[in-house]
Amino acid sequence: MKKPDVKVVILGDMNVGKTSLLHRYTERKFRDTVSTVGGAFYLKQWGPYNISIWDTAGREQFHGLGSMYCRGAAAVILTYDVTNWQSLAELEERFLSLTDTANHDCIYAIVGNKADLSDPRAQLPVAPDDQGEEPRTEPQVPSACPTPPASPVSPVSPGSLPKQVGRDEAAALYARVLRYKGLDEKSSLPADRMCFETSARTGYNVDALFETLFDLVLPSILRKRNENQRSPTVDLEDYREPTGKRRGCC
Amino acid sequence: MSVKAFELVPAVERDLLMGDKARINVECIECCGKHLYIGTNDCFIHHFLLEEVPSQKGRIKYSAQKLQQKYLGLKKPVTELRAASALERLIVLCDGVLFLVDMATLETVPSATGSGGAKIKGVTSFCMNGNPVNTDPFCVEIAVISSRRRTVQVYTVFEDRVQLVKEVTTAEQPSVVSLDGYFLCLALSSQYMILNYTTGASQDLFPYNSEERRPIVKRIGREEFLLAAPGGLGMFANAEGVSQRAPVNWSESVIGAAVCFPYVVALDQDFISIHSMLDQQLKQSLAFRDGHILQDFEGKVVLASTKAVYVLVPLPLEQQIQDLLSGDRVEEALVLTEGAQLNIPRDRFQILHRRILQQAGFIQFGQLQFQEAQEYFRKGELDARELISLYPLLLPPTSSFTRCHPPLHPFADLNHLAQGDLEKVLRCKRFLISYLGSVRGTEASRAAREEVDTALLKLYAEQDHESLLDLLASDNTCLLADSAPWLEKHSKYFALGLLYRCNGHDSAALQLWIRVVDGELQDSTRPDLYEYIVDFLTFCPNLDLVWRYSDWALKRDPKVGVQIFTKRSSGKDQSGQPKLDDVITYLEKHSHARLLYLEHLVLERHIKKEKFHSLLAVLYLEQVLFLLESSPPPAPDQLSHARDKLQALLRESNLYRVQLLLGKIEGCDQLLLERATLHGKLEDHGKALDILVHQLHDYSSAEAYCLWASSSQGPACRQQLLHLLLDLYLGGGAGEKRGDLEMAAVDLLNRHGEQFDAVRVLSVLPEGWSLQLLKPFLGRAVRTSVHASRTSRLALGLSRAENLQLLHDRLKERRKPILVSEKRGCHLCHNTFSCPDVVCLPGAIPVHTHCIAHRLSDSAPNTHADSTPSKHTDSTPNKHSTQNSNHT
Repeated sequence: MKKPDVKVVILGDMNVGKTSLLHRYTERKFRDTVSTVGGAFYLKQWGPYNISIWDTAGREQFHGLGSMYCRGAAAVILTYDVTNWQSLAELEERFLSLTDTANHDCIYAIVGNKADLSDPRAQLPVAPDDQGEEPRTEPQVPSACPTPPASPVSPVSPGSLPKQVGRDEAAALYARVLRYKGLDEKSSLPADRMCFETSARTGYNVDALFETLFDLVLPSILRKRNENQRSPTVDLEDYREPTGKRRGCC
Repeated sequence: MSVKAFELVPAVERDLLMGDKARINVECIECCGKHLYIGTNDCFIHHFLLEEVPSQKGRIKYSAQKLQQKYLGLKKPVTELRAASALERLIVLCDGVLFLVDMATLETVPSATGSGGAKIKGVTSFCMNGNPVNTDPFCVEIAVISSRRRTVQVYTVFEDRVQLVKEVTTAEQPSVVSLDGYFLCLALSSQYMILNYTTGASQDLFPYNSEERRPIVKRIGREEFLLAAPGGLGMFANAEGVSQRAPVNWSESVIGAAVCFPYVVALDQDFISIHSMLDQQLKQSLAFRDGHILQDFEGKVVLASTKAVYVLVPLPLEQQIQDLLSGDRVEEALVLTEGAQLNIPRDRFQILHRRILQQAGFIQFGQLQFQEAQEYFRKGELDARELISLYPLLLPPTSSFTRCHPPLHPFADLNHLAQGDLEKVLRCKRFLISYLGSVRGTEASRAAREEVDTALLKLYAEQDHESLLDLLASDNTCLLADSAPWLEKHSKYFALGLLYRCNGHDSAALQLWIRVVDGELQDSTRPDLYEYIVDFLTFCPNLDLVWRYSDWALKRDPKVGVQIFTKRSSGKDQSGQPKLDDVITYLEKHSHARLLYLEHLVLERHIKKEKFHSLLAVLYLEQVLFLLESSPPPAPDQLSHARDKLQALLRESNLYRVQLLLGKIEGCDQLLLERATLHGKLEDHGKALDILVHQLHDYSSAEAYCLWASSSQGPACRQQLLHLLLDLYLGGGAGEKRGDLEMAAVDLLNRHGEQFDAVRVLSVLPEGWSLQLLKPFLGRAVRTSVHASRTSRLALGLSRAENLQLLHDRLKERRKPILVSEKRGCHLCHNTFSCPDVVCLPGAIPVHTHCIAHRLSDSAPNTHADSTPSKHTDSTPNKHSTQNSNHT
C-alpha cells in the first residue's frame, strides 16, 4: 500500500456536502451520496507525492473520532453550507476543537459549499455531465442531529434559496480560527485566499480549492521527507511508521 | 457483497465437548499449532488435537481428537487461556487468579521457591505482548488489568514464575488491554487511549462508553490496533493515535473482531461480517447463532458459540480473485490482488498480479472497452501473441506459440466473441492495430517480434492501412513465407516487393514491380512506381541487378531510365559503381540514353577523357548531319538547337580529337562555322578566319572568333589575331565585297581600338581614309597609350620608393651592436653560444650558423626569401661578437 506523505482532512456539519466535494474532485461527477459512516479516505497522487484526503462523518454520533482523523493533518478544510447559517456556527462550536491534534503548521480553509443554490455564477457546470441535472437530495438521517431549517430536503431549483452566510462572515470565522490557534493574522495566509465558495454539484471552484491546498502543503511534505531521511534506521518493514513522526506523541 | 472469502468449518462439535450436559458453556479458547484448548464455565480445560483433513474439491475439514481434560478445582468459569508455546505453558485466568499450567499435562505449575511464585491474584483481564521488547525467547510479556482500581501491570512470565516489570495507573478504570512493544492500548470507561508504559506518555484516541457497549481492542499488526468505535464502527489506530485506514462499518453489537488480511472479520450475535480493509466494503456475511468468541491464532480465525468451536477458513486468494473476475468485477479483483502484495512472496505476487491484469484486460476487451483493456494488457505485460491468437489466421503457422493455460479468457476466437457482428470484428481489428503498434519494439514483445510484425502486416494489408509501407520501410521481422500470400491476396504488390527487399530478395522485388508497371498485376499504391524502380536501381549497390533491369527501364523511358547511371553517387568511393566505359558500352543500344549519359559525364561531371568528348562531339555532329539530310527538313529551331550544342562543345572542350571531326565535317558546306572553330582549335587561325570572312562573310562571328580564340592566351595573342583579321579585311577581295570588308575593318578598329598596335595599324591603313572615320579608334589608341605611359611611370616611382626604404632599413641594422655571450641562447636551438661566429636574423636575433643552415636546408626552396636577411649579416656581426668575447 502506498504511504501517504501528507494528510488533508475535511470537517463540517452533516449534510454540508463533504463527501460530494471529495467525490466531485476525485471522480469529476456529482452523485447522491449516503451519509458517511465513520469516515473514508482517498489517496491522491499529486506529482511525486501521495496525499491522503480524509472525508469525515458529520454526524454527531461520530464526533469523537474527529480528533483522531485530524492528528497530524497538514491541512483542514472546514466546510459549511452557504444556505445554512447554523452549519457555519457549528464549525466554531463543535469542529474547531477537533483540530487541536493537527500539525502546528496546519493550514485551514473555510469552504462554503452548495454555492449553486444561491449564486447564479456557481451554476455553470465546470464540466458538463448528466449528473448535474438530477435533483439534489442528500438523504437525511432521520434520527440524527437537528436538521438545519434551510437545508434542502426536497428537490430545489437552483438559485431559489437565500444565501445565509456571506463571504465576510466566512472571513471573520477564518480570523477567529487563527486567533484560536494562536496564529498571527499577518504572518498567516490571508482570508481571501483561504475562504472558498464551492459547488460540488456544478464543480464550481472545487478543483481550485483542492489544488490550492495541495500546493500549500508541499513545504510540509518536504519537511517530513527530510525528517525521515535523517532517521538512521533503515525500515525493512514496509508498514512501520517512519520514526521521524514518532516525536508527536512522546 | 457476495464475495466468498471464507468458509465456516466445524472443528469441535457439541457432542465431543460436553456430551449432553446442557449447562456447560465454552468460556474461552486457545489454539496453538494443532492444539486446541477450551476453557468451560465448569472450570475444565479441554485439550484437543485439531487436524486439517483435505476433502473433495480442495475443501478443508477438521477432525478433532480429544487428548485430555482437566478440572482446575475452582468451581468458577475459566475466563481466559493463553498459550506460551516456548515455555510449554498455558496462562490461565480463573476466578481472578492468573496461573500457569503445563501445556502437555495441564498440571498446574508449582511456584518456584522464593521468587514471588507463578501466580498473580486480583486479575480481571490480561493480554500477551504481540511485539515483545524482551529478547529472551524463554519468557513472554503480559499486561494485566488488576482488580485494584485503575491499575495496569506489565509482567514477564517465565517457565515457573512471573516477574512484575511495571505498574501504571490510569485516569479511569480500564476494561480491555492490548500490548504492542511498550504501547498499551486500553479501553477505559469513557474512552480509548494509548499509553507508553516506560515513558508514561499517553495519547487519547476517542471517546467510547465502555459501560454501554463492550469495547474491543485488538492488536492487528505492529503498533496498530483495531477498536470498536461508537456507531458500530471498527476503527484503526496506530501507536501514535493516528488512523491510517478508513473505518469499517459493523453492527452496534459486535462481540469480537480479528484481521485476516485483507479482511476484517467481526462477530455479533447473529452474523459473522467480513469487510475488506482495502475498500471498507462488506464482502461476505455468514449467519452464526449464539456467537460468543472470535479470535485469531497465528492467522487462523477460530470462533466459538457457547457449545461448539468452528474455524473460519479463508478461501485461497486466487480463487477469490477468480470468482470476482468471473463476475466481471475487475476493479475489485485488482484491489484484492494488489492488497495482498505484502502477504505473498514478491515473485509469486508478480506472476499473480500480471495474470490478473491480463485477465482483467481480456474481460474489458470482451466488452470492447479497448482503452481500459490496453492499459491492463500493458501493465500485465501480456504476451501479444495471446491477443493475436484470438484473430483467425493472424498467427503464422510456424509460430510455436500456444495459449496460456489455464486460459486467460473464455473466447475461442474473434468470431466467437463478436457473434458474427462485423462491426465488432472491425473494431477489434482496429484495436489490435493500435495495440500492436504500441507494443511493437518494446522489451515485453521481444520474444514475439515475428508474430507481432507479421500480424501487423496482415492487418494493415487487410484494412488498407497507410502504415503498411512504414512498417515495411522500417526495420521489421515480418515472416516472408506467411506474409507473401496474404499481400498477394490483397493485391499489395508494391508492399510485397518491399517485403522481398527486407528479406534480401531484391531481384524478386524488381520482377514483381516490373510486372505491376507493365500492367500484368494491378496495384495502385504507387502511381510513380516506374520512377521508384529507377530510383531503386540508381541506389542499388548490386551491379548485377542494375545491368539486368536497366535495359527494361531504358526501353520504357530513356530520359528517366538514364538516371540510373547519371544519378549514381559520383563521390570518391567508386568501388561499388559501374565503370564509365562499361556503362557507355551497355548504352550502345540506347542511343538517346547514351547521349544523355555522355552529356552528363562531359558537361556536368566535367570528366576529362578524350574518348567521351570525342564520342559526344561525334554524336552531336551526327545528329546535326542527320537533321540536315532528313527530309522533310526539320523545324529550324530544332536544327539550330542541335547546332548550338555542337558548337558549344566544340568551343568549350579541348579534349576531343579535332582531326577526326574535321574529317567528318570536311565535306559539309553547311557547317562552316563549326569548321572554323575546329581550325581554331588547331591554332590554324588564318584558315579559320579565312573561312569566316571569305566563305561565310560573317564578320561578327569572325570578331567573336578572335576574342574566343585568344581568351585563354592573353592580350598579345588577341592583338595578333585582331591584326590578322584586319589584314584579311584590308587585303582581300574585290568589287562589292571590298566595301563591305572595309566597313568591317573600320568597325573592328573602332570597337577594339585599344587592342591594336596603333603604329602598325596606321602603317597599313589606306591613305584615303578620313580622320573622322577613324576618330573612335584613334581616340582609344591615344588614350591607351597615355594610360600605359602613366602607369609605368607610377610603377617606376613606387619601385624607387621601395628601394629607398630597404636601403634605410639596412643602414639601421648595420649600426646596432648585436650582443653575443656565453649566457645568451640561440633562438633556434636554445643552446648557448660557444664561439663568436653567429648569424644574425632580422631584428638583431643571433643564432648559430649551423642552426640557420639547418633551418634553410630543411625548409623548402621557396623560403629563399627568408635567407636573404641572414646573408648580409654574415659579414657584419662577426666584428661585434669579437668585441663581446673580449669582455668575457
